[in-house]
Amino acid sequence: MVTQFGRGQKSQLSAITQGTDLYIGIQLNAPGTSWDISCFGLDGDDRLSDDRYFIFFNQPKSPEGSIQQLGAQSGDTESFRLNLDAVPSSIQKLSFCAALEGAGSASQITAGYFRIVVGGQEVLRYAFTGADFSAERAVMIGDVYRKGVWRVAANGQGFAGGLAELIRSFGGEVEDPAPAAPPPVPAPGFAPPPARPAPAPAGGFAPPPGPAAARPPAPPGGPQPGYGQPPAAAPAAAAGAASPLVSLYKEPPPSQAQPVPPGAMASLTPYAENQAPGRWVLQNSKLVKVRLGEDAMALRGAMVAYQGNVEFDYKSRGLRGMIEEKLTGQGMKLMTCKGQGEVFLAQDASDLHIVELAAGQKLCVNTKNVLAFDATITNEVKRIESPGIPGGGIFHFEMAGPGTIVVMTKGTPMTLPVQGPTFGDINALVAWTVGMRVSMSSQVRISRQVYHTASGESVNMQFQGMGGGHFIVVQPYEV
Amino acid sequence: MQGQLIAHYGPTPVMDRMSRHGSKITKVVMWPGFDLFARSGSMIGYEGLIEFDPQPPEVRRLASSWATGEGVPLMTARGQGLLYLADYGKDVIVMQLTPGEAVSVNGKNILAFDASLQWGIERVKGVTMLSGMGMFNVVLRNNTQGPGWVSMVSKGNPIMLDTREAPTFVDTDALVAYTEGLSIEKRRTAGFGSMFGRGSGEAFQLGFHGQGFVVVQPSEDERPHFSPRG
Repeated sequence: MVTQFGRGQKSQLSAITQGTDLYIGIQLNAPGTSWDISCFGLDGDDRLSDDRYFIFFNQPKSPEGSIQQLGAQSGDTESFRLNLDAVPSSIQKLSFCAALEGAGSASQITAGYFRIVVGGQEVLRYAFTGADFSAERAVMIGDVYRKGVWRVAANGQGFAGGLAELIRSFGGEVEDPAPAAPPPVPAPGFAPPPARPAPAPAGGFAPPPGPAAARPPAPPGGPQPGYGQPPAAAPAAAAGAASPLVSLYKEPPPSQAQPVPPGAMASLTPYAENQAPGRWVLQNSKLVKVRLGEDAMALRGAMVAYQGNVEFDYKSRGLRGMIEEKLTGQGMKLMTCKGQGEVFLAQDASDLHIVELAAGQKLCVNTKNVLAFDATITNEVKRIESPGIPGGGIFHFEMAGPGTIVVMTKGTPMTLPVQGPTFGDINALVAWTVGMRVSMSSQVRISRQVYHTASGESVNMQFQGMGGGHFIVVQPYEV
Repeated sequence: MQGQLIAHYGPTPVMDRMSRHGSKITKVVMWPGFDLFARSGSMIGYEGLIEFDPQPPEVRRLASSWATGEGVPLMTARGQGLLYLADYGKDVIVMQLTPGEAVSVNGKNILAFDASLQWGIERVKGVTMLSGMGMFNVVLRNNTQGPGWVSMVSKGNPIMLDTREAPTFVDTDALVAYTEGLSIEKRRTAGFGSMFGRGSGEAFQLGFHGQGFVVVQPSEDERPHFSPRG
């Protein structure tokens, strides 16, 4: 028997079916518009606290498989399979929502329904039409939720914003390349496809300890995948980077690739400049743009392009600098970017990360991992001496805020919180917080194969932090 | 009216001549009569019946002017099927030229293009003089009535800069492609003190003005890899 539900109607699920393995089918007929139907697994506070339970085209399955997106079938525009017995207790509500992609509104829905099928038998149907909605761009169709027992509700509520706003309303975060333009440009060739490459996970380093968890100002709304260990293991250091993340714009599977629109320029739209405001703007994971006005320092040769009236000056660091350069052997060959305009910086397709330092905050960065920084940053070459190190010492920059540093890494870095003694291979170390006790340790007991260096003479740096919030950053590539 | 028959048995979507498979593979739909030029050795797989000619006569004619001196890096592919192309894990860009459009692509960044496009090799003016090594571009012009497809590679995620916004200056080592017809100005960062750029220490950029775009890659690594290709 099919129970017909009306808008807003609620019921215990057991009154409808005894089954717990549900098939949820959603149909949306809306000619000329395209809809994304997804399932939000929310916690007791209706928050999307665990983004692994946001089931959508890029993530068709929850970690334990209790919620699965099945795609279009049997007349349903989208379908899901729910195994309620396996849904973890942290998930209290499964909200099925449809969000418009592109131009249009929910009033264009000619007909639609939300139905539950158990064991091949349809048991519940809630039908709706566009007359229930007006200019909304998303619809919360129905919920399956827990309140003592599992219940079901026909929601039928419109939502003014699109998918991104919907996610935000659930407390999720969206990596949005251009939130400045909420209504997508109607011209199909120019509309940024949802498959647009992410504007780069900016930063991702846990910021140095400090009251203001300094985040890069751009790209906006940038919830970044923390490169740290799981947040539970890094309470202090990863505090700024541990927020949940819904990576809507990550590369889609190849089968969902967007067709290339005609026209050379339209074809290249996915690579268009990121016009987000701010001084330092990541264009993609490997390119950063700096808006001049105040001077910026950059590695010589890192400029790939610029617009405007910009001058590049070799930065003379004076005699002391020259000596430093000689000593370090690698000295940072810097140039000053002056003038008015925008400069695009990149180096060897390395991954770039924006780190913002508040006044007084300090960070040590390996000289080989600095791409650019504000001229307001003071930097000093420091040397860690130890007889164990080939060459007698290792050099790094101690950079002090206020300002922004662009750090480059080969590959996705990892931020290790320093709690007990923490070791880093000197060849893989990218950055570390100041104020730690640093010492050298050659391996004595560890077998030689563990750390790879060409000479076989490997030295590790040992960090011991006093107090919380210290971390080191290593990259998966040894220089 | 609804049902599986209507929902699931529609025509399969028309496949584009070229599309990206992930970010690093270009998929080309081959059809007799629609030949393709591709970088030699870029084929990583194909389905169907596709023939490759590593020394096409059209290319041989231009061989003498190719800069790199490592032979002609283009082959022709003809036949029917699906062809997959990649170049050492670089990112691929697929571009569809409408009739009349033309682009100039750096010789090192070309991956494949329709044989129906009019093409030629062009020495970028001024660069040779400045750098001593020369820079060759493949100029592709769509003189047909239909779409013309071009695939390029970029080391790292590329970026497109709009030259209509502002004159754009580009480091030649990072230049991937630009709209043919932009006015090009060479600029040398004068003075000993402002030298930058790697190795040579010679600093020069190309400035682009006009209606169009420039594509730039986030790497200036110029070391060519002379790896044997299949």
